[in-house]
Amino acid sequence: MKLIKKDIDKHGAGFVNLRPEDDEDMWHLYNLIQKNDFVRGPAIRRVQTVSATGSTESHRVRLSLTLQVSRVEFSAASAPSNVPVVPGSIASSSAPLPTASLHISGRVTSANDHVKMGAFHTLDVEANRDIRIEKGDGWDSVAISRVEEACVPGRGAEVGAVVCGEGTAAFCLLSQHMTVITHRISVPIPRKGSASGASQHEKALTKFYGTLFDSFLRHIPYSTPSLKAIVIASPGWVRDAVYDYMVAEASKRGDKILGKALKDKVIRVHISSPHVHSLTEVLKSPEIVSQLKETKFAREGIMLDRFFKMLGSDEQRAWYGPAHVILAADRGAIGTLLISDDLFRSSDPVQRKVYVELVEGVKAKNAEVLIFSSMHESGQQLNQLTGVAAILTFPLDVEVVEAEEKAAKEEEAEAAADAAHEEALQN
Amino acid sequence: MSRATSPVPVKKRSGKGNPIASGASTPIRFGGGTDQRQLDMSALNIYSPDDEENAYEEPPKMTLAREKVVEEAKKALDARGDGKKGVSLVVIGHVDAGKSTLMGRLLYELGMVEEKKRIANERGSSKMGKGSFSWAWELDGTTEERERGITMDIAQQFLATPQRLITILDAPGHRDFIPNMISGASQADCALLVVDAATGEFEAGFDRGGQTREHLVLVRSLGVSQVIVAVNKLDQVQWDKDRYDDICDLLRPFLLQSGFHPSKTKFVPVGAMEGVNLITSEGDTATELNKWYTGPTLVDLLDKLEPPARDLNSPLRLPISNVFKGQSSGIAVSGRVCGGVIQVGERVRVLPGDETAIVKSIEVEDDSQPWAAAGTSVTLNLVSIDPAQVNIGSVLCPVTDTIPLATVFSAKIIVFDIQVPIMAGTSVELFHHSRDVPATISKLVASLDRATGTVIKQSPRVLTKGGSAEVQITLRASGISGPSGTARSIPLEPFAANKDMGRILLRRGGETIGAGIVLKIIA
Repeated sequence: MKLIKKDIDKHGAGFVNLRPEDDEDMWHLYNLIQKNDFVRGPAIRRVQTVSATGSTESHRVRLSLTLQVSRVEFSAASAPSNVPVVPGSIASSSAPLPTASLHISGRVTSANDHVKMGAFHTLDVEANRDIRIEKGDGWDSVAISRVEEACVPGRGAEVGAVVCGEGTAAFCLLSQHMTVITHRISVPIPRKGSASGASQHEKALTKFYGTLFDSFLRHIPYSTPSLKAIVIASPGWVRDAVYDYMVAEASKRGDKILGKALKDKVIRVHISSPHVHSLTEVLKSPEIVSQLKETKFAREGIMLDRFFKMLGSDEQRAWYGPAHVILAADRGAIGTLLISDDLFRSSDPVQRKVYVELVEGVKAKNAEVLIFSSMHESGQQLNQLTGVAAILTFPLDVEVVEAEEKAAKEEEAEAAADAAHEEALQN
Repeated sequence: MSRATSPVPVKKRSGKGNPIASGASTPIRFGGGTDQRQLDMSALNIYSPDDEENAYEEPPKMTLAREKVVEEAKKALDARGDGKKGVSLVVIGHVDAGKSTLMGRLLYELGMVEEKKRIANERGSSKMGKGSFSWAWELDGTTEERERGITMDIAQQFLATPQRLITILDAPGHRDFIPNMISGASQADCALLVVDAATGEFEAGFDRGGQTREHLVLVRSLGVSQVIVAVNKLDQVQWDKDRYDDICDLLRPFLLQSGFHPSKTKFVPVGAMEGVNLITSEGDTATELNKWYTGPTLVDLLDKLEPPARDLNSPLRLPISNVFKGQSSGIAVSGRVCGGVIQVGERVRVLPGDETAIVKSIEVEDDSQPWAAAGTSVTLNLVSIDPAQVNIGSVLCPVTDTIPLATVFSAKIIVFDIQVPIMAGTSVELFHHSRDVPATISKLVASLDRATGTVIKQSPRVLTKGGSAEVQITLRASGISGPSGTARSIPLEPFAANKDMGRILLRRGGETIGAGIVLKIIA
């Protein structure tokens, strides 16, 4: 994403002009744009005109519209945009076009010749077309840091992953903020059995490897330089069999680029189950950690793992759930805050404000804040745990704290009651 | 099948019908002969001559009323004198304990393996430099299993002892293949635990993280209550009695703690490679053992296994554990009948899905049978169904009485020995028969007292090891991409309705974290 212009005053009023460039930028915009924001962008609108004689004529007009947002819709790519290209062509080095789509609907707030004020429109956000965002409730720190994060040039590693089991495979692309499952295959494999014999099993396996190979060519952009590593992960030995098959097939076809990519980029990782959620295990494995350390998504995985471990070893230092975490923050106990971006997308501005304040408060105490992307498996898992969790710097007993809070509240209520009582007496 | 699709018989046939076609430059048409178009068509292999003969086959009709079958099944189960009782046995234990070797040798000793095949296996394995695996080759059929010298999937075999007909399910011991082991164990009535007596090997399997422990806990959770412990490889410790006793003493308390009744656990020393104490404890190789052991042999113990009570009156449930192409038309599925009866000609519903199929034939131990009752491992040939609709993990039911499909359900679970506690939102893999799906523990309803089942605490924050609890489990949607996407439901039944269909296992990160029973299906 490119930041074209930023004009935000210290109270948070103002706008930014952004130019999205790839899939991830669409995801950033989706997280940035909220209900009641004002978005201006290029649009194509069908305009109907009625002539004096009563005949209608419709034509499409390209214009810029400003909307007050009522709904934002995002759908991730179903297929990778960067299909492997012929080597040497210029296209391979240029940024791929996004396939993720973002739709922003709302009422038009500035009328022009073609569109009346208050008319509904849905903007399809396109790559390389600037859009202007003005926040309805002003820019808060989380939103501003999101813009900054989105505009950092030269993002981190991109990783392709094939998570496979016997007969199933899922092709994923991991980037800084997103895991996209581009394709899944499932080939029925008869199990070995005395009745069917082993031949059916092996025949089906060969077919499975073939299908996997074809899908790999189509869905993993192995030749793009931005793809740092390709992970083949599976329980058992499927990954080795798959790798060997692919290497053999590449040399059989004389595909040198594929052969080189397989040799240089492929890392084989053991996981415990063939489901996509095992990607978290992939990110924990030492082979990958050394390759990807310093990237955001690797850090998220490591932190979530640390949280779970803490929960096992010292339950009083691992808290989750919004109410509990806010209590911990009040006591200045938070060492690392893990929070999902899902919570900031909340359409309720009051709720968003609560979380923004939580983040700002924790940051002010020099603690670490990790905003998880819910497009990653780690973020999904955090979402399951209410979306917010914290590793505390010192142990705190939830029940004791809750009792304290309750006592404090009761005291307050009593004080209020006393005051009211006194007032009544005085009158 | 290859005969029908290969082009050779097609050519022969056309030659018969059109004797001079081969030399003619223009095709000449004969009244009743095959013309060029037909020839072209047959070259496409769209249909083969065999098809014409059995183009339409009347699906078999049901011959008996359901009540009659149930009655017969009951009679067969009660038969004490002549009929042998059927029982299924899963072979479990740590990797390389010698499960497959023991079974291979046992099959040979009981005369189930032909001498020719044994010699072939022996030659093949020594050629590969893996002579010690020659017995295991009988069960480890695939190339990869043989190359690696490890069982990867369940192998099913039948053996007959004087009193019993035993379906053997040889489970893989390697931890990566526990899903396959679960699929096998859920079809079993009893278990045979094989432990390696060699120095250090038994300890490796029995320590935390070893499969001896995990397998035992798993089979118990899946409803297996009888277990025979075969202490194998005693020849490697010179048939040391103390070693045997030590192992038994270590296992006994653990078995009791896992919920196996002492009267239902038996121990037997064996030497699988040499075939010592399998059927008899005679011969030169057994002299060392005979000095101190006078108890029963393995077959003696197998012969006393008691089949559990079968649920014949409940509606049919048959979870499919394997789908393959059978000898005849249609597809073949195998699995164990978990309730009710099934007979040839019956129309069955395949769940999940909207399809029905007709049972064309039932095979039990390679013999064709008119019907099969709960507890039997069967291979069915299904016709009038699209093969794509039948998957491993599907359940066959009566058309009128289908099994419910669930995406959210409540379950009573016990938590195993885990490091990281379970909390609301923990992602797990849910195992149910041969099915393995990602799920989330969405709600911790209450923690329960393990012995009495009374509620200790409503909505606890976490569940720690050794506890018991009522939880709500939600299946996860298969994709990460976006918040949309709904989970596919799986066939599941409350434990109260059908015991076999109501047991679940929960695993996380390659570790079994809990087992339970389904209480209620919520959605």
